[in-house]
Amino acid sequence: MDFVTMNILDSAMVSICREMGITLMKTSYSTIFNEALDFTCGLADMNGDMIAVADFCPAQIGGMPLLVQSCLKEIPISDIHEGDIILHNDPYRGGLHTPEHTFFKPIFVEGEIMGFAVAIGHIAEVGGMAPGGFCGEATEIFQEGVRIPPVKIVKRGEDNVEVWKLLLANVRTPRVNYGDLKALIAAVDLGEKQMQGIFAKYGKAKVKETVADLLLYSEKRMRAELEMIPDGIYSFDDYVESDGVESDKNHLIHVDVHKNGGSIVMDYHGTSPQAIGPINATLGVATSAAYNAVLHMTDPTIPRNSGCFRPIEVMAEPGSLLNVDFPAPSVGGNTETHPRIVGTILGAMSKALPDRVMAAEGGTHCNFVFGGVDADTKEYFACYDLEAVGWGGRSFADGNSAVDSINGNCRITPVEVYETRFPWLIESLALDTDSGGAGKHRGGLGYSKQMLCVNDVITCSQMTDRHLLAPWGLEGGKEGGCGATLVMKDGEDTWKTMREAYGKASTSRFNNVAIRRGDRVLLRMPGGGGYGDPAERDPDAVLSDLKDGYISKEAAKKYYGYKEA
Amino acid sequence: MKFSANGYYIESYQKCPNCGVLMYANSEEDRKKRVEHEDKTYCSQRCVDWSIAREKRRASAAG
Ligand SMILES: [Zn+2]
Repeated sequence: MDFVTMNILDSAMVSICREMGITLMKTSYSTIFNEALDFTCGLADMNGDMIAVADFCPAQIGGMPLLVQSCLKEIPISDIHEGDIILHNDPYRGGLHTPEHTFFKPIFVEGEIMGFAVAIGHIAEVGGMAPGGFCGEATEIFQEGVRIPPVKIVKRGEDNVEVWKLLLANVRTPRVNYGDLKALIAAVDLGEKQMQGIFAKYGKAKVKETVADLLLYSEKRMRAELEMIPDGIYSFDDYVESDGVESDKNHLIHVDVHKNGGSIVMDYHGTSPQAIGPINATLGVATSAAYNAVLHMTDPTIPRNSGCFRPIEVMAEPGSLLNVDFPAPSVGGNTETHPRIVGTILGAMSKALPDRVMAAEGGTHCNFVFGGVDADTKEYFACYDLEAVGWGGRSFADGNSAVDSINGNCRITPVEVYETRFPWLIESLALDTDSGGAGKHRGGLGYSKQMLCVNDVITCSQMTDRHLLAPWGLEGGKEGGCGATLVMKDGEDTWKTMREAYGKASTSRFNNVAIRRGDRVLLRMPGGGGYGDPAERDPDAVLSDLKDGYISKEAAKKYYGYKEA
Repeated sequence: MKFSANGYYIESYQKCPNCGVLMYANSEEDRKKRVEHEDKTYCSQRCVDWSIAREKRRASAAG
């Protein structure tokens, strides 16, 4: 292996991926892209193996290889021409959920395909039954928006207008979607151009050989990491609460992690059958979550590419919660079930790797989505708003507060941008005292956001979790605080759940609630579980938490033996 | 292209009962690796073996 060239090429390719992402961020129309950064950009080889990726959204990073490889099963390389761009979002063909749109463009060098530039982004509005893409009560895929098998949206450099017409006719915000789709195209255009520069500089043979070495290097380092973990079968259970359709039914996620030498198998058999409602994960999600969990437990300096993934296998039973069968819905699988799978794997591995896991994080993106006609501009708006949660305490540190759940790596949209773009007034946004689970190392705090509707009507939907089942603690740490979604109608003075106010089956998953001018919505995000016995917490840390308002005096007395002077 | 048994779309969506991978009808390379076991089509012999081992492990754990 030529390590010098390998390092240079790896860094150059990662930089290209980052540049693709920045282009996407700067040219997109939706807040989900330009503020929240819910996308990822990468490069793949001819087999669809990921050879480089930027540090954006892990859900999409782990999903990328299966996504591209699934497309290549349907569109053979011989049918892909210079200037083509393939679009795909089908959850049943390697996809993640309908909002996740994958674009990839062949990188031609001297008439030969050398690989692909790939951009995956969460399109905020995809048609279907609810504005904003998350139909909390969907019972089939057709309610979850436009489903796109692999198609060429650009053919030999020219827009495939027929495809564009079909796509844009089936969404509520065609102007914004057009801008976002073009931003994704700009990203893959840039990736192609920059990689062509790399091939021009180093030559096809050298790049091909070095990339193969790079993948092998990542694989070897990942296997070496896995070899340090004691062999064994590690099991754990966690639950997704409710599916938005069957109230009060919890859905089991079971994992047996088989660690053997330099290999690891995530066997999910024993997980609940697929749900009626939209909490099901696709195979892409179940695979991506396995990769995500392993990347969190291993050396972060290993170059991120498909080589890292070679030692990881997934067994996900068809028709189960973690491998949904057509035509069941799946929009919540990629956002809510993914972090629950990762948490389940981390819980299993806590027995083998106590210093590399954390207690449960909030594990939801909140996914409060809405749309309507703006009273001032008369234009239809739609928003996919994601929020952050508290992360779990670790053996060596408290959990982080208000950080996007483990599969997102996204940012919270600033209040000022939110109010400028959408007809809400944010009345408060603050960390919630006592929401971090008590522990030697406290769980991170969740927060609450209170919003006043300043439009005639806004149609709201949500796909969240952890309203009922609190994030668990580890090694004697206590549970984190639950989330909540509450509404106070104009003229009333009590907060009600969506079940109380609108008769919904679930408080955390619902769609198409009409919030009217003067109504208020309060979104409370869960905190993280604590790690270790709270009695062992450093007394100075308890005092500091009290001073900052992170914990109340009551909690300090109850969990930490605090006595007032 | 072909229609699925339930007539919904152009794929049959046949998945390996063990690992859950989608088995495409048109892939000669994948087809060669497939194994029939107890009236089910698995993607590979490894998945058949894994499936049998899982059943045995769970049966012995159940006593
Ligand atoms: Zn299989």
